[in-house]
Amino acid sequence: MTGAKTKLASGSALIALAILSFGLSYAHLGHASIGVAFLIAAFKAMIVGAVFMEIGREKASFKLALLAGALLLATLLGFVASDVRMRDPPPLPPPATEPARGI
Amino acid sequence: MSDAELADTPPTHDHYATLEQQAAAVKIALAIFLASEALLFTGIFALVVAYQSDWPHAFQIGIAHNTKVLGSINTGVLLISSTLVAVAVDAQRAGRRVLAGSLTLATAVLGIVFLVIKMTEYAQHFSEGIYPGGRGHFFLEHPEHGLPTFWSLYYLATGLHAVHVTVGTGILVYRGIRVFKGSLQHSLEASALYWHFVDVVWIFLWPIFYLA
Repeated sequence: MTGAKTKLASGSALIALAILSFGLSYAHLGHASIGVAFLIAAFKAMIVGAVFMEIGREKASFKLALLAGALLLATLLGFVASDVRMRDPPPLPPPATEPARGI
Repeated sequence: MSDAELADTPPTHDHYATLEQQAAAVKIALAIFLASEALLFTGIFALVVAYQSDWPHAFQIGIAHNTKVLGSINTGVLLISSTLVAVAVDAQRAGRRVLAGSLTLATAVLGIVFLVIKMTEYAQHFSEGIYPGGRGHFFLEHPEHGLPTFWSLYYLATGLHAVHVTVGTGILVYRGIRVFKGSLQHSLEASALYWHFVDVVWIFLWPIFYLA
């Protein structure tokens, strides 16, 4: 079970990265904090995908289905990012007395 | 697959010629399902990012009031559970059925632990007057615009994720019991893939709602 040893090592690395994220959340990195947190999250997701899900070992049909999903995700995120960058600031003033309602 | 393994496992369904064909069909279906699930959660992530750009201060207040320690413990719980089920897959491949079944059931137990912690978090939020839709005395004390949106998105995303954890836990309990009896290898692999997906979703939810 050599694969099991790799997976246990990867699990330890994931925990270490989670502790790093937790520690950095107290570092007051300002606007960079979300970027750093997402970078670590993406790295953790890559470990899960490559080692635990063994995507590299799967058949081409499996990878193709995931790739199609990834392309759709990229399209969705691309449109959201362009919308956020180009739209006007929200015209909503803070409420005076009544609590604001959610979405 | 060896002859001994074939003799020890249930037969294929009628419409598949071989076990390999059945396994490939299961994996393709699962990949399409997971891709569609990823789109669902990414839609919610996109909402959070868009609203956060509108009301960064409100989102900072929301994160500051969140149950950071409990959420972080849950991250550890899910990462450990994902590791266990990944090792269970290897154990089943090595023919160590008891170990594989035990690790799968241990993963399910960690799923239950995750849900108990999540319910504890919700109970704490309710006691502070934080309800979905901006209802509760918390929003009278903190009339920051955008704060109700943060908490509504939090309940939506984590609630949907909790539903997935509940389903995954049920699948793992069933699969763990079947592994002891000699379940097909690809069935455990498919269950594990679903659980890893649930883990990946939480990997992104955690920084968005608890850390950033």
